[in-house]
Amino acid sequence: MSDAVAHDPDFLAEEVRRYHHFITLALWLAAITGAEIVLIFVPVPMPIILTLLSLMSAVKFFAVILWFMHLIYDHKLLFWIFMCGMVLAFATFAAVLNLFSADRIDTKWFS
Amino acid sequence: MSHDSHHAPVADKMELAPERSDLGLFRPDRTRGLFDWLTTVDHKKLGIMYGAFAMFFFLVGGVEALAIRTQLARPDNDFITARMYNQLFTMHGTTMIFLGVMPLSAAFFNFLVPLQIGARDVAFPRLNAFSLWTFVAGALVLNGSWLFEFAHLAGWLDGFAWHQALTYTDFAPANGWFSYAPLSGTFGQANAALQAPRFTGVGTDFWIIGIQVLGVASLAASFNFICTIVNMRAKGMTMMRLPVFTWMTLVTSILIILAFPAITVALIELMFDRQFGANFFNPSAGGQPVLWQHLFWIFGHPEVYILVLPAMGIVSEILPTFTGKSLFGYPIIVFSGAVIGFLGFAVWSHHMFTTGLGPVPTAAFSLLTMAIAVPTGVKIFNWLGTIWGGRIRFTPPMVLALGFIWMFMCGGFSGVMHSSAPADAQQQDTYFIVAHFHYVLLGGVLLGLMAGLYFWFPKIFGRMPNAGVAYLASGMVILGFNLAFGPMHYLGLSGMARRTHTYHAGNGWETWNLVSTIGAFILGIGVFIAFVNLVYTAAKGQKCASDPWDGRTLEWSLPSPVPEYNFARSPVIAARDVYFEHKHGVHKLAYENDGGEAGVHMPSQSWFPLLAGFGFLIIGFGMPLMSMGVPHAGWVVIAGVGVMFLGIWLWALEGPGGYMLKTPANPLGTTAAADAATSAH
Amino acid sequence: MSHAADASHAHAPTSTGIDHKKLIMWLFLASDCMFFGTLISTHLLYRKLYPTGFTDAEGHQRFVQNLFNIELTSFSTFILLMSSFLMALAVSAMHKGQVKSFRRNVLGVIFFGLIFLGCQVFEFTHFYHQGLTIQNSVLGSTFYVLTGTHGTHVAIGVLWLILLYFYSFTGKLTGHMAGLDVEIAGLYWHFVDIVWIVIFTAVYLVEYLGPSGFWGNGLPLAK
Ligand code: HEM
Ligand SMILES: [Cu+2]
Repeated sequence: MSDAVAHDPDFLAEEVRRYHHFITLALWLAAITGAEIVLIFVPVPMPIILTLLSLMSAVKFFAVILWFMHLIYDHKLLFWIFMCGMVLAFATFAAVLNLFSADRIDTKWFS
Repeated sequence: MSHDSHHAPVADKMELAPERSDLGLFRPDRTRGLFDWLTTVDHKKLGIMYGAFAMFFFLVGGVEALAIRTQLARPDNDFITARMYNQLFTMHGTTMIFLGVMPLSAAFFNFLVPLQIGARDVAFPRLNAFSLWTFVAGALVLNGSWLFEFAHLAGWLDGFAWHQALTYTDFAPANGWFSYAPLSGTFGQANAALQAPRFTGVGTDFWIIGIQVLGVASLAASFNFICTIVNMRAKGMTMMRLPVFTWMTLVTSILIILAFPAITVALIELMFDRQFGANFFNPSAGGQPVLWQHLFWIFGHPEVYILVLPAMGIVSEILPTFTGKSLFGYPIIVFSGAVIGFLGFAVWSHHMFTTGLGPVPTAAFSLLTMAIAVPTGVKIFNWLGTIWGGRIRFTPPMVLALGFIWMFMCGGFSGVMHSSAPADAQQQDTYFIVAHFHYVLLGGVLLGLMAGLYFWFPKIFGRMPNAGVAYLASGMVILGFNLAFGPMHYLGLSGMARRTHTYHAGNGWETWNLVSTIGAFILGIGVFIAFVNLVYTAAKGQKCASDPWDGRTLEWSLPSPVPEYNFARSPVIAARDVYFEHKHGVHKLAYENDGGEAGVHMPSQSWFPLLAGFGFLIIGFGMPLMSMGVPHAGWVVIAGVGVMFLGIWLWALEGPGGYMLKTPANPLGTTAAADAATSAH
Repeated sequence: MSHAADASHAHAPTSTGIDHKKLIMWLFLASDCMFFGTLISTHLLYRKLYPTGFTDAEGHQRFVQNLFNIELTSFSTFILLMSSFLMALAVSAMHKGQVKSFRRNVLGVIFFGLIFLGCQVFEFTHFYHQGLTIQNSVLGSTFYVLTGTHGTHVAIGVLWLILLYFYSFTGKLTGHMAGLDVEIAGLYWHFVDIVWIVIFTAVYLVEYLGPSGFWGNGLPLAK
């Protein structure tokens, strides 16, 4: 039965196409990581760097889930399941971080 | 797929030839009795075991509650010590929520979901068995703390060096069901043994690891159920044809997989504080105890909907059956269930108004909490719409379901009251809150679950509970419940704080506390009578027909008790409530297809889920032993992790196996008519 | 999907066409987002509240930038990304039924995974000698538990892949189901990788922003 999979020409062509995508992607991931490391030492205003860093991290994140993790080839439902967890985590913990504020901490009690 | 496992179909699994798994061990397929129950992967048997354990723990939690109420019956009472009181209310809440309501809901998920969607079993039968045994392990760990506590009180532990070295000797959890830090955590500086001073004894460690293990069980079960519902629906069973109970199972499972990780991490952090001297919640090192509250309630508020949504699903099945009408506004019920689920993640801080969140967050959480009452109210109106103009049959499940609507609504009202932050400042930590959540949890969830038990018991065991006893029990539960918790609204608003061991005379609380205690006993006796009634029914009750209530969903189309293979032929679904349409509809819709005489494929039984669950039991006892300072306890934990991994590894390697059962002749004899209808359709 | 349907006769086609195992893995990963979300935000929360680092055994105030070693972290990040690439190739090979190529790639993943773990062990010992412990500060608690939990995930992934590697010699790892089993392990591995992508930016890189770090109050970057 498995031979039916392995010798299906369409299937093989598709795998070869993916193979090339994976290589391109790996190069991009390496390049972006390199750029991130350089970026933190560049003397431009912090908000700009921060935006760029978040953006680059998000690009890497989505590149991996879409191509390496096949979400772009697979059923859409899987993408939405994952987004559910991710968006919820992001929103919840953004709220938690904002609910705490440093000026309400009395540091003289410890340290 | 190992092809050798597909023997010729047999009529009964005892006729199978002995078969070896990929590991070379014999598969426990040909077992009866105890070994069969220990190795089963059948969702129906697992469901029955979940139900049995849950009912047992309901009684345990009930005894704890009655002890609490006895203590509070009179002012300045000393029926139990303050320490025992703290342990009792902690274990009562924890037991009821994690060992009573959740597993009883799981019992219904297990038994019903595959039947309602027309499937052979769940997506991962062995994982399902693993969930059950891990739950049992967690339950034993939590309650194992009592054994240590009693041994300590009896003086049996005094001779041990580690016991003499303990600062605190409370062995049962005493932090409340939410174990707020810093009480549950540490303070000061960690010593050379990496332990910081603590406020409480080993009970907290039992609680931490017990809840952690129970979380694993719930998570595994929920992944499995989502997968089952999304992926294993019979032909034609579209999402919008799913029975509402199955829908609510889906929403509940989604809530579990998204809410439990927060408590998992919080528990890990607390465990690191206690066992390894970390500072997550240690105020002396800058840890923020209030972070525990956030993490707990990020889990905790969705958790309350995890508790109630299954009961809502049950009631949504019962009302149409006994009014002879289809559910009013099915899409809206489903939609509001989902909305409740997701809004439930945005309101956790309403448990923390009095921590001083700041004006903007307080207003936001207040508004969101009020908003969540809207979809809840929508459901109530849908249920009323279902009853409206129906031919009501006041059977025991129906009585309990009507009780649910009414009592749950009262709980919702008090909920909306403390969604207003200024009002909540008066109510927080008083008996008013106790009244609120008992109205939603007992008046809501317990009545719903009891209704479900009375409704599906005839299906599960093929026997009908005695109706007279059932009415008596339902009456006592509803009456006792209102007597016990109604007065708490008043007690709370007049200032009686929750979680206090006793109170002085002269505050005007004496009468209502006494009434409440009397009500609690009526309630407790009522629940006990109901459970005795049910257990008796399972063993010796009157035999009944397979569809005694004139049911609507697919499970009623099967014989009672349901045969191990569920459906001899996969059903084909042409409408919502297809079985009802088949019986009474204009077109007499078909629900069973004629295809496939090849036999029914059954999964093989296995010892390894039990073994993996047993690993969790060892871990669960090892961690608190470590915390007690028992020598070499760390090795116990490591051994437990080893056993768990061994179980999972062997389970992965044994291969799924499976065997074929002969396709039985159609047990109900309806296929001929159904076939005719299929071809006409 | 036609090849999936006839590849395994014992498995009835699913309602959505998605294999059960793949579906449950994605559900697990969605849930794990909340898990790591909680851990990462605990760390960030305490960084926000206490932007200065910790006090070491000699009583010196230590700052995070001076503790972190960006070269090492960048290296291990790069290693993990490349392991993800090899994992994608291993999955692809298995789908094509090329077991030899699968083994080669998966060995690469295991090797890179072990290097990553080695870097982490090195980093932990280094930080420990610099005076950062789980016990002496919230920073130590959150940092070690967060990155340690991630490391545990990596270790479990390595173990899983080692088992798959040896399993491939039993001859039982064939056909559609084998491709699926490897793909599931791959999903887990990639997920561990994307969690690290987030940790790399949110826990490490931001500490270097501007002269005093994103959280403020740090010292100038000069070592
Ligand atoms: C209309 C819907 C509801 C609203 C608006 C609501 C609102 C609230 C609020 C604001 C609190 C916090 C009170 C305080 O501690 O000061 C609370 C507590 C609680 N609610 Fe609800 N609630 C609702 C429904 C439910 C349901 C359906 C359940 C469970 C099935 C539930 C269970 C609980 C529990 C257990 C607590 C107390 C937790 C504790 O402090 O131990 N509630 N509710
Ligand atoms: Cu709440």
